[in-house]
Amino acid sequence: MTAPAVREHTKETNWVGKSIRRIEDPKFLRGKGGYIADRPLPGMLHVAMVKSPYAHARIVSIDTSDAEALPGVRAVITGARAAELCDPLPDFGPDPASHTWRVLAVDKVRYVGEGVVAVVAESRYIAEDGASLVSVDYEDLPTINDPEEASKEGSPLVHDPLGTNVAYERKFQFGDVDAAFAEADVVVEDRLHWRRSGSQPLEPVGATASFDSGTGQMTIWENSLTFTSYLFMLAGTLKVPSNKLDVIPVPAGGSFGSKLWAVKPAAIAGMCSRVVGVPVQYMEDRHDALTNNDHQGSDRIYYVELAAKNDGTLLGLRLRTIEDYGAYIQFGVGHHGNALAQVTGPYRIRAVEYELQAVLTNKNQQGAYRGFGSEVNNWMLERMVDLLARELSMDRRDIRRMNFIGPDQFPYFIPTGNVYDSGDYEPVLDTALELGRWDHWQAEKVKARDDGRYIGVGLVSCQERSVFSATEFWFWFDEPGAPVTSMPESVTLDIDALGNITATLYSCAFWGNSPETMTAQLVAEEFDVDPSSVNVVYAGSGQGLPATGPGGSRFTVMIAGAIEGASAKIKEKAFAIAAHLLEADAGDLEWVDNGIQVKGSPDARKTLGEVAIMAHLFKHSLPEEIESGLEASKVFDHPYTTMPSDDRSDLGVFYPFMGHACHVCVVEVDPDTGSVEFLDYAAVHDCGTMVNPRSLEGHMIGGTAQGIGTTLHEEFVYDDDGNFQSGTFFNYLIPTSMDVPEIKCGHHETASPYTPYGIKGGGEGGRMMAPGAIFSAIDDALEPFGIRMRVLPATPERIAAAIEEAGG
Amino acid sequence: MNTVAIALNVNGTSHHAEVDPRVSLVDFLRDELGLTGTHIGCEQGVCGSCTVLIDGTSVLSCLMLAVQAQGAEISTVESLSNGEAMHPLQEAFWEKQGLQCGFCTPGILMRAKEILDANPNPTADEIREGIAGNLCRCTGYQFIVESVLDAAERQTANA
Amino acid sequence: MPLMHFRLASPASLIDINGVDELDYIERKNGMLSIGARTRQAQILTSEAAANAAPLLVEAISYIGHAQIRNRGTVAGSAAHADPAAEVPAALIALGADLECVSRAGTRAVAAADFFTGPFQTVLSDDELLTEIRVPAWPDGTGSAWMELTRIYHGFPVVGAGAVVHMSDGTIDRAGLGLCGMAATPIGADAAIDVLVGSAPSAELVEDATSAALADLEPPADVHGSTAYRTRAGRAYVRRTLTAAITNAGGTL
Repeated sequence: MTAPAVREHTKETNWVGKSIRRIEDPKFLRGKGGYIADRPLPGMLHVAMVKSPYAHARIVSIDTSDAEALPGVRAVITGARAAELCDPLPDFGPDPASHTWRVLAVDKVRYVGEGVVAVVAESRYIAEDGASLVSVDYEDLPTINDPEEASKEGSPLVHDPLGTNVAYERKFQFGDVDAAFAEADVVVEDRLHWRRSGSQPLEPVGATASFDSGTGQMTIWENSLTFTSYLFMLAGTLKVPSNKLDVIPVPAGGSFGSKLWAVKPAAIAGMCSRVVGVPVQYMEDRHDALTNNDHQGSDRIYYVELAAKNDGTLLGLRLRTIEDYGAYIQFGVGHHGNALAQVTGPYRIRAVEYELQAVLTNKNQQGAYRGFGSEVNNWMLERMVDLLARELSMDRRDIRRMNFIGPDQFPYFIPTGNVYDSGDYEPVLDTALELGRWDHWQAEKVKARDDGRYIGVGLVSCQERSVFSATEFWFWFDEPGAPVTSMPESVTLDIDALGNITATLYSCAFWGNSPETMTAQLVAEEFDVDPSSVNVVYAGSGQGLPATGPGGSRFTVMIAGAIEGASAKIKEKAFAIAAHLLEADAGDLEWVDNGIQVKGSPDARKTLGEVAIMAHLFKHSLPEEIESGLEASKVFDHPYTTMPSDDRSDLGVFYPFMGHACHVCVVEVDPDTGSVEFLDYAAVHDCGTMVNPRSLEGHMIGGTAQGIGTTLHEEFVYDDDGNFQSGTFFNYLIPTSMDVPEIKCGHHETASPYTPYGIKGGGEGGRMMAPGAIFSAIDDALEPFGIRMRVLPATPERIAAAIEEAGG
Repeated sequence: MNTVAIALNVNGTSHHAEVDPRVSLVDFLRDELGLTGTHIGCEQGVCGSCTVLIDGTSVLSCLMLAVQAQGAEISTVESLSNGEAMHPLQEAFWEKQGLQCGFCTPGILMRAKEILDANPNPTADEIREGIAGNLCRCTGYQFIVESVLDAAERQTANA
Repeated sequence: MPLMHFRLASPASLIDINGVDELDYIERKNGMLSIGARTRQAQILTSEAAANAAPLLVEAISYIGHAQIRNRGTVAGSAAHADPAAEVPAALIALGADLECVSRAGTRAVAAADFFTGPFQTVLSDDELLTEIRVPAWPDGTGSAWMELTRIYHGFPVVGAGAVVHMSDGTIDRAGLGLCGMAATPIGADAAIDVLVGSAPSAELVEDATSAALADLEPPADVHGSTAYRTRAGRAYVRRTLTAAITNAGGTL
């Protein structure tokens, strides 16, 4: 495949670009959101999990007799029994047969919180009573906690069959790295560590399953539905035929990645339902969500070198990264694909060496979290650019500006092979500097120091990629077992007999993004109707077309393509009908304002409604080849994916629609306590054409708030013995309204040449920028101490320790 | 199982029930009364999703037992709309996009109602501080503050 | 309740005093501010009597959690819960409060400084109920300040300090100090009081008192703060609250 045709975005839009009220909102405002816990089924039972208190231990024996005897308990399922009822869980990791992931731990537990026994009872209360009556005998095993130690020969193993804790390692060379470094006047190097945190939406994952032994049909309602074409893997786990599994999406109270492909809760519920013969709901509570959710974020160490000329020209990047994946590795090293999509940031760096080691430890595994591993790369790169600026005594603005890819250089291919479709970085920087009052705060900073106060201004310029391709799953291997290339999104549009439009979506119902509003606005644009008249509904996987869901900020772009395609099919049929009715040639007709008319003769016209009623009810009035009805589906495949080279020195195009942002952040640091307070914050994003600017801005702000949490407050802490220290919201700290400043937002729109209306994805960006900006500000504030923060989160204690070490 | 008889008023309707003494108020409202608009986010008293008004005062229903609500007058999010018509707070949140996933929204609406009942014209800072006990993971709070300001304006205009 | 949700506490019987209206009072009598056990934290915040008699307690309570917590949580409940990181216990120590413990055998008044025996542990026996807290009224012109370090807004204090100071003829003649997050229990600082009382305020005096307060302290470490960090931060907070309390009492440094 080559690049798609370049589009000219000349048409004035009526609905795309309007900040209309969201279609989704009324039900949520009225308290009728219909989340998974709001939908009990008759006779439904509840699951509570017995979870491991040990980081690493052999399961010696389990006594379930007291639990089973408790009135109200209907089933108690151990890992051994679960392994008979269910095959292993779907696993996109490098060697699933060796790092096997199951619904419940079987021979040993591999992290504090891992599920050991499932108790099914009449209420969650009784299920937990039952769980407390289960007695498990463990034999403690040495804890594997530090990934660098775990990667060494002789370390105890998380998965004995794997023979190592290193699940994957490879060194990639993109471009001529040696030449780039040979040319350098200066090389700065550092060790950086981004520690694990996670999405923790206010609603945890939940699944209700109902197995019908009469039909063999397994129906699962879940606040998660993604990668529908891959659900045969979940069917395999549950040992039902692939065409007898129907996963039905239910609105989700937030996800940010943690509900992406949430197969384990679905499998737990499904397994239990089959055992007891009635519907079963497994609802994670907050403790389950913190300890056993399988979606922890990146936990990554970098040893990195950045090579440059004395004038600040960036030449090359060389890095070795160790990623602590935890006890399983369900998505393989896809997080690094996200990084490699934009590894060189907005800069003209021409060579990258990327040495990656994925290590297993006794922690809950990683999954997806807003940015999916690219946000870590952004932070690392901007840390290094700041370091270089310091080394060369260059202004942080100048060094970035001089290295920007120029607006006339797009589409721009970075060394990894991915493409940046379009961009214009200087205006974004300029707007952010103005909104963030850079000059004002530089002056304030100087004054503050005279008072013994420490104010700092931070700056980052980073990319936010959108719309990933399937190749990212497998270009890690020279001989991948499944070199898949499909990653579509689908829609069905139905015009009923009165001309009213229904749009059916096929992947995750709703996460807090705005799929109904996006869909309605795009359909409205096509058909000249009011968006509030469009009914958006969600199909389960059983009835459905293949669909991927809202990962990697792809949903709006992909649904736009699907709607464009379905609309074209409908219009083609409508034109044929109208031509027949108007006794005109289809080529003489044009679409105007919710109807079809003869060019130059606006009176010779049929509205969409008039065409629709004919289509539905008057077959004999239609051209002979036209069937009754007026609906069409479109499976929109990823529009721009190219294959990697055999030697993987070029990964092809796999994340082409590249947004960009600049954050300017002003903080004050308390030197005694290391506390960080925000004085100002500006976020300017370019996500191409915005469909609903207000909605996008909401995601920018929300993403930045999560970025603040990631950077200053949130961490999943496992102590040296693997004990989990973050099992409550008393310890895992989510920012309140008083911890997030007012974010001044700016927008720039550099349309994509390849997508409908020039839309790019933009949901993840805020979290992808904030960490680097805040670190930049902290270092700037503490410059008198000569401090450089290297570990995220920059907790007050870490900052205070750095100050103390510097003599403060 | 021993149960305790309670009588209480929820959203203007009287209820009599026999409850297991260990059942939390939020579970009672959701499971017994079917008022699923109030949500459970943590059961630790940190997230505020379970906020309801008892005699006009905001409380965390996950930290109360149903039996403690004997004789109480409780308002949940379902009480805000009047049939089809939405409360000015709901209209304001809709207009200003003060929600994304909606999970924290009912708790925030009830807390916002308490704030506006006590202070019809709060400043943005007062609102932001006032909602500090309600976590939102989606919005970053800014549009929520704007929504409550907008609601205050609507209510003042209607007064 | 969170402990019960986590099944860390599974009481066979739970006695709810929320219905005992007789314990709902804030009264100024006999030179004391008397607070009944059912008095909500929120009620203290709007009580004129409390604002006049014990502004330190009002200020400390204003930091507790958020509105929904304060609307239900009681002052006595916080004292009996005895979280070493909590505001109320430390503030009561600083103010020199007494706690009335009642059982069938009788009643006894326990000084706040003696009430807390360990993390989440008090002198209350299994059959005793805390019914009243009595805060002595400090003389006119008393200055006080509560400050605390939290990770997120109004989260649990990492460290906190409450200081109360009264001056007469340019000299400190009475002082109180209570610390949270600095030991296994909330604590006072008699050594610091000894440094302060009888002296004229100065930056050096504050520093000496701070050092006296911190001497021999080894704050227990947890995920929110190591011993070294709590010591460093605690020092800053003692210094700041003493400075503020002295300033509020009309002193200059």
